[in-house]
Amino acid sequence: MSTDPIWENSHTEPDVPLAEDIAPGTANDPVAGASEAATLTVDGQQVATQAGATLLDACEAVSTDGEVLALCSYDDEELIGPRSECRTCMVETEEHGVVPSCSFPAEDGMSVSTDAAAASEARDVNLDLLLSDHNLLCTTCGANGRCDLQDVSIQNEVVEPRYGVMHDRSELEPLDDSSPFIQIDRNKCILCNRCVEACNDVQVEGVLRMEGSGEDTRIGFQSGAETMMDSTCVSCGHCATVCPTGALVEQGLVDATTLPIPGFTHKNSAEGIVGEDYEHQPGQMTPMKRELDTQNEPRASASTVEGDATDGTATEGEDRP
Amino acid sequence: MEREAITEGTTTVRVAAGSANRPRGEELFRAAREPESSVASAAVGSTGIEGLEPLVAATLDGETAFFARCSTDRVRSVAAALGDGTLPTDGATAVVEHEPRVATLPTPEDGPLAVGDRVVLGGCGWRRPTSVDDYQAVRSPVAPSVDRSREATARIDEAGLRGRGRGDVAADAPVVEHWEAVAAADGDPIVVVNANEADPRAAADRLLLESDPLVALDPALAAAVALDATDIVVYVNETETLAHRRVRAAADALADELRMDVPIRIVAGPDEYKTGEPTMALEAIEGNHRIEARRGPPGPSEHGVDGRPTLVHTPRTFAQVGRVLAGEDMTGASSDPGTRLFTVAGDVDAPATVELSTGATLDAALPAVETVEGRKAACVGGVFGGLTRSLDVPASAPGLESARLGTNGVVELLGESTCMVALAGSRATFAREENCGRCVPCREGSTQLVGLLRDVYDGEFADGMLRELLRVVRETSLCEFGRDAARPVTTAMEAFETEFTAHAAGRCPAGTCNRS
Repeated sequence: MSTDPIWENSHTEPDVPLAEDIAPGTANDPVAGASEAATLTVDGQQVATQAGATLLDACEAVSTDGEVLALCSYDDEELIGPRSECRTCMVETEEHGVVPSCSFPAEDGMSVSTDAAAASEARDVNLDLLLSDHNLLCTTCGANGRCDLQDVSIQNEVVEPRYGVMHDRSELEPLDDSSPFIQIDRNKCILCNRCVEACNDVQVEGVLRMEGSGEDTRIGFQSGAETMMDSTCVSCGHCATVCPTGALVEQGLVDATTLPIPGFTHKNSAEGIVGEDYEHQPGQMTPMKRELDTQNEPRASASTVEGDATDGTATEGEDRP
Repeated sequence: MEREAITEGTTTVRVAAGSANRPRGEELFRAAREPESSVASAAVGSTGIEGLEPLVAATLDGETAFFARCSTDRVRSVAAALGDGTLPTDGATAVVEHEPRVATLPTPEDGPLAVGDRVVLGGCGWRRPTSVDDYQAVRSPVAPSVDRSREATARIDEAGLRGRGRGDVAADAPVVEHWEAVAAADGDPIVVVNANEADPRAAADRLLLESDPLVALDPALAAAVALDATDIVVYVNETETLAHRRVRAAADALADELRMDVPIRIVAGPDEYKTGEPTMALEAIEGNHRIEARRGPPGPSEHGVDGRPTLVHTPRTFAQVGRVLAGEDMTGASSDPGTRLFTVAGDVDAPATVELSTGATLDAALPAVETVEGRKAACVGGVFGGLTRSLDVPASAPGLESARLGTNGVVELLGESTCMVALAGSRATFAREENCGRCVPCREGSTQLVGLLRDVYDGEFADGMLRELLRVVRETSLCEFGRDAARPVTTAMEAFETEFTAHAAGRCPAGTCNRS
């Protein structure tokens, strides 16, 4: 630590959470990729890969026959992904059948086909499944024109998604407009987890997390806060940078591509807005990391139950404490 | 603590009851001890046949009389008669002659206890669940016979043993591949006994842990020695307090007896179906507050609990491992040697868990239960099992798979009034509500699946779209939850397509769906 008195006075308490207190709500995934260099075949073309390579790396090294969309994959930052959630990167291998190329190790001698019927079908269906749960109002979306979901939909020549799109306004989640810096529109979120990893693994801020399960899975806050402004966000913006859609957008850009039609904006594209209380308070800080009040109790617990008599006749203490 | 095995006694009264009938079983046990006598008595676990409980077994000099659904008065008179040196047979459900001091339940010639082969189940309802002495009466523990050479692995390999149950990393696959992968991986290995099964239909693992936990714990300890693992975790369901306590007591007794330095920890996981999936079990054991499936490869063999090489088997698999290591002749189908446990559930009087040779067919399990309203079909494999009209299906993993049925050890009988479209819809809804939320084909696919099935009721049976979606859910889901989730709907559409077309035309052949 510096001996400069200014620093000593301003930094008496560290306000950065310890990495082990960070609870992103996601699984302890293994490192993806091959343990050694390999030579394999993709659509009949021979590809040499380095240690650490995935099948997607091999596919990207050649011109593939099929469109390997790999929407949720992110390759600008090693600490982010592969999440392998969107399953739009499926390819067929002779050795292991249909596999997610984004996380499957490139092993020596593998034979990969990107346009096998089962792989193409899987990518098409999974992309349409993503669109089925996506508010497709691109014309008022701040990510219009710089959206990975839009890009892969065009790449995959989607005309009419087979399961439709999210259109019932009453089912839309309200926008979180509380923060003067970043707006959250969960109706655009594809749960790729990039923001959570950027926030926890790269910035080590411990703000965002994955929460809920099934249809209720969403991006939330580790402090249990309901809104961005009530969270411990430091507004670094990394989440918005890595977001593949318009789910996390810098406030200045939310209506950047909205057509100039009166009354038709991003904010009224959803049914409700939370955090309006905070409007017109640009520059206000979030509560930051006053105290780390996380709600991350383990779901499983080690046993404290006493064993019963060896003849199995105990009658008390039936309930675990 | 009685040092002597209960099986040593020639005059004994046993009261057998599982957790479902435990209060009544305890009442009977107290009554059995009321007459002043030298008769040995034991409260034992379930035999697997719930319909017989509480079951009283009176043994005298190589003869045992069984009294099913026994009354308090009856158990008193049974104990008194034994005390007077006579075997009461009046009103007995069955009377069996056997060798004196047998360590496994003597099976009657007919009735539910005669169903299948009681090998792994042999001690259930007979030996005291947590008594190492009782366990040693049937075989020497296998753990001390194992060393760190490859010998145990070689014997598993030679036996061709496959894993049992959805909670097993080696489910339906050769167990040896999993053992070898763990042995080859870097790091300190750990052994997990995955017994968290929240599907109420699938009772086999709970039965083993409640009635005869040592039959799984001793082989788990052997596996730990063979793979040089430093510790064992038994992962149980938080609601199963009896299994939990008996595992604790049995593990402590085993540790005392064998003086082996491998700690056995018990972790109670959420009572949710998804958390029995092996990678989600690892997440729960690690203490994550939110449980989702873990990406692979590499799988748990290389990256398990805290990133350590991890062997994950169900109690059912460990019980078979124990048989192999004890040098038993495994018999059964050569493609899947040994026996498999099946719980017959559904439209039955009371569920029953029975043990079938893998060379048998599923219909051999049927005499274990009373059906309530005829039988139209069965769902084989648990909540995400496959639907079938016929149970003339081999009880082996390859046999079940080729019939497109599930292998999680459940035969759920469906009565005449069951509507297959409604059943398919309820299983799809279960998938939608219970999935972890991680991957698109499972999370979004199950939602669309429910929608497409609902459309059938509105007159639109989009069978091509349904089949396409089911293929993708099955083939591209990140974990076994999603891969299994497609099975009920897929098999319902195959075996009962006419019911789907009838619903699209506004009619429910079973007469149970109300269109309003």
